[in-house]
Amino acid sequence: MSKVNPPNEKPANGNQQPKVGVYVCRCGGNISDVVSVEKVAEAAGQMPDVVVARQNTFMCSHPGQQMIVDDIAKLGLNRVVVAACSPRLHELTFRKTLVRAGLNAYLFEHANIREQVSWVSKSDPEGATAKATRLVGAAVAKVRLSRPLDPIKVDATRQVLIIGGGVSGLRCARDLSQSGFRVVLVEQSAALGGRLTELGRLYPVQVEAREVLHSLISEVSRDAAIQVLTSAEVTAVSGSIGNFSVAVRCAQQETTIHVGAIVLATGFDTYEPLPGEYGYAEFPEVITLPQFVRLLEKQGPSDGQLQRNGRPVKNVCLVHCVGSRQIEGIHQPGPDGRLHEYCSRFCCTAALQAANEIRARFPAVNVFDVYRDIRTYGRGHESYYEQASKQGVIFFRFLAEQLPQIRRADADGSALVVQVKDTLTWGEDLEIPADLVVLVTGAVPRDLSRLIDMLKLSRSPDGFLQEVHPKLRPVETAVSGVFLAGGCQAPMDVGESCTAASAAAARVSAALLKGYVELEPFAAVADPALCTGTGACIEVCQHQRAISLVDVMADGVTLRRAQVNPALCGGCGMCVPACPHGAIQVDGWRLEQFEAMVDAIAADY
Amino acid sequence: MSAGSSTGETVQQRLVFDALVVGGGIAGLQSAIELGDQGYKVLIVEKAPSIGGKMIGLSKVFPTLDCSSCICTPRMAAAAHHENVTIFTYSEVRRTERAGSRFQVEVVRKPRYVHEADCIGCRLCEYACPIHVEHEFEGNLGARKAIYVPFANAIPQLALVDLEHCVFCGLCEKACPTHAINFLQQPEEIAVEVGTIILATGYKMMSPERLKLYGGGRLRNVLTSLQVERLLAPHGPYGRVLRPSDGKAPSSIGYVQCAGSRDQSVGVSYCSRVCCMYAIKQAMLLSGSLPMVDITIYYMDIRAFGKGFEQFFQNAKAMGIEFVKAKVGRITEDENQNPVVRVEVMEQDGRVEERKHDMVVLSLGLLPGWDPSGVVPAEIAEDGFIRSADPLLAPARTTAEGIFVAGAAAGPKDIPDSIVEAGAAAMEAAIYLRRNGSSSNGDERAVNEQAAVVAQGRG
Repeated sequence: MSKVNPPNEKPANGNQQPKVGVYVCRCGGNISDVVSVEKVAEAAGQMPDVVVARQNTFMCSHPGQQMIVDDIAKLGLNRVVVAACSPRLHELTFRKTLVRAGLNAYLFEHANIREQVSWVSKSDPEGATAKATRLVGAAVAKVRLSRPLDPIKVDATRQVLIIGGGVSGLRCARDLSQSGFRVVLVEQSAALGGRLTELGRLYPVQVEAREVLHSLISEVSRDAAIQVLTSAEVTAVSGSIGNFSVAVRCAQQETTIHVGAIVLATGFDTYEPLPGEYGYAEFPEVITLPQFVRLLEKQGPSDGQLQRNGRPVKNVCLVHCVGSRQIEGIHQPGPDGRLHEYCSRFCCTAALQAANEIRARFPAVNVFDVYRDIRTYGRGHESYYEQASKQGVIFFRFLAEQLPQIRRADADGSALVVQVKDTLTWGEDLEIPADLVVLVTGAVPRDLSRLIDMLKLSRSPDGFLQEVHPKLRPVETAVSGVFLAGGCQAPMDVGESCTAASAAAARVSAALLKGYVELEPFAAVADPALCTGTGACIEVCQHQRAISLVDVMADGVTLRRAQVNPALCGGCGMCVPACPHGAIQVDGWRLEQFEAMVDAIAADY
Repeated sequence: MSAGSSTGETVQQRLVFDALVVGGGIAGLQSAIELGDQGYKVLIVEKAPSIGGKMIGLSKVFPTLDCSSCICTPRMAAAAHHENVTIFTYSEVRRTERAGSRFQVEVVRKPRYVHEADCIGCRLCEYACPIHVEHEFEGNLGARKAIYVPFANAIPQLALVDLEHCVFCGLCEKACPTHAINFLQQPEEIAVEVGTIILATGYKMMSPERLKLYGGGRLRNVLTSLQVERLLAPHGPYGRVLRPSDGKAPSSIGYVQCAGSRDQSVGVSYCSRVCCMYAIKQAMLLSGSLPMVDITIYYMDIRAFGKGFEQFFQNAKAMGIEFVKAKVGRITEDENQNPVVRVEVMEQDGRVEERKHDMVVLSLGLLPGWDPSGVVPAEIAEDGFIRSADPLLAPARTTAEGIFVAGAAAGPKDIPDSIVEAGAAAMEAAIYLRRNGSSSNGDERAVNEQAAVVAQGRG
């Protein structure tokens, strides 16, 4: 890995007497309803080196940012503090503001007085104002000692690893290849296609899943820029955005590939009902929707009669929300101890599509649909519901508190009876005859624990992989360079998975397009004048090969001294207390800055 | 283009961009940023005087309850400050012609009657203006002047004159420190050449006037959901939640779901997809600002389908918000202007009841924001939204090659789905550009960078 540029020496605006501007955000009331932003700004105005302290309704808005730009020009500010929301939201916004005004981005400090103050101290406005003032004081104390820093630029590999060869992975591979990237697509099973290989016709256009897959797979297989590895799995990952090394085991061989980014397109599993859940695994007449779809597929078009195991089926009963929308105390957690509290999104429309198909192909078969809410939300989905009603599908609605029960029929006729307390008939207890009960199962998160450990990813409370923010960065994970595409993030249908996959491809493309990536400059720096070469820092270093001992010449003598490779350093700071001579510090977070912050927090205002 | 001069418009410029994004709401902004980040030059054309679309007017957004401004303003600023993104606000696309793989587009910049280069957004004109007009941004609950900056965090911060209400008193002209006001300003026609087009023209709300059984917009304490967004916004028209007729803080609020969705009697058979969640969100926020309030949501099905949505719905139930399965048949009002809803209480004994509330909110459905017919060669589907050519593999593709669609322009959609779709539309557009020989300057940079690396012998 070669560094594109050397670390910058201090530009002019770093050594001048600090002139700090402090900007306190009202956040349209989110902060100012609790914190007296006027008082905070007033107190900030009295802090050392503070030249101006103002407040504004939305500092992140254009007028708010412009205020900073104008003050930098007019008042010659060389340091800026914004007291607002979490830096996760807007630190980058304001760093860019400084850059536009000609200042180094790292002469900015962000004080969080929303998540850490106003949102958690609603009942104590005075205390909240005092706390906000102290946090601003600490930020001012820190920024006074800040030095200009430059992002670490690292060459980026224009090759991308996609894990998962289902529709999301295929779609993402195709988009990236057409954007000029090389792609390695790793699929753990023997064939591409994923979940789609199990589906029949797809809503909302009634196209066969295999036709959709065929076009996509042939496009991907023909593409020289896409290398497909089936029966393959990722066994180890190291490195960071721009330069990941990934060990892949394929056909008993382990190979290492180098990629700039990793896209997870690992999909979801379908819910497997617990033994006894709605009679599953207890009565052979109880099957899941995917099993029923395969049954319909196998059934010849001219049979005229719906059959299962050679026996005619006269009454089909669909039961919705099996393994979805689960509620503590009502539903049983699965083997993983997890309740699936979420809605699986696609199953209502998929179930109604199956219901309509039965009515269209086998008009003599009665279809009963037992549901909680019909969620045909998507474009064209509602027409499946309308069609079902028109075709005579009979609907019953139950509350989660009164789950339907399934038992053997006492008399001749249908094999099973589904008991429902039906809210559509004002709470009537009804018994539905059924030769076949179809459990409308949803999506569950896959067991990705090895990948999650390898890549240090996090899961959402629902067990699916977590994005950074559903609106700001919906296809990125908290690990820079690792992206999400499709059903590994949440239940999605085919169209939604393809959309998510393309969106992920767009983000990957933007990240790697320039051929280099910029990393935060918060890396450790060893001072050769203080270092004696003990190597204590190397022992505690959390990142492979980030620190090494190198020979340096000083006054004609060769000395062993610690040297940090900033591209590999994670900036964790483990080395700082380990050094017996205080010779190693993290740029942007130096000890003197911490001391100043602690003093400021403890000071009187 | 001689047609322009004959209508009194001046033809001045011819601009070239890689991409045109029609609509500067959250989907359009995100598409533009995504393309700009990939090194393509983008023009956003927005018909309103500010970018930000519907989202910038919302209070907080589900399911995270982030304040909407906190997500939307930085996106607006990011687009406005993006080196590859140009924005024309208060402008409209008038005509598009295909020229090979590219498009020739006529854009008209509407007159603000304020010279844009001179306006500094100081609002002195606004303070001087004596005319008060109902403010659209505040759901007509607040007032603005006849000359005004659209709203506090608008981009750009430029004043415009509402000629319909202006009395030409000239007070604004006297107040303006830069002499920016010009009542003789003409529409400006601009010829633009682009390589691809993304339609992000969003939605408009169902008009309450069309819902005759729900009072047809005449009942004062029957509000629209967007009005409630403004009531809940910390910088909204009243600064707190009040009902319009008498300023009373409501102690009982009813939500009428599917008001203009899933209702063939008003010609809208589809689900508007966001109303369940925004109603639940508003109910939660209202419970926060009016601790004693009772809230009832009358619904057909609760469609909490997105990530974290069902949990959000269950939290609302646990907070004591009442959910009643019923399609509201009619809304009337009593002598004190209290709205009365007529419902069948299905989950109990099926009796028909008239329930009185202090305030009722119509969870209005979403209608197409714009019909491209005759302007851009993209088709619309039966539902009036832009037709997707391949809803399975490429939902962002329209039936016209090189033209893509993002967000609610392709059907009702929440913010997270719109943003993801904007990314997908940008990806499609970028691939189309590449295939037709427009390389982004990102690529050029990369090529130069590689050349430099090779020159240094690093390969």
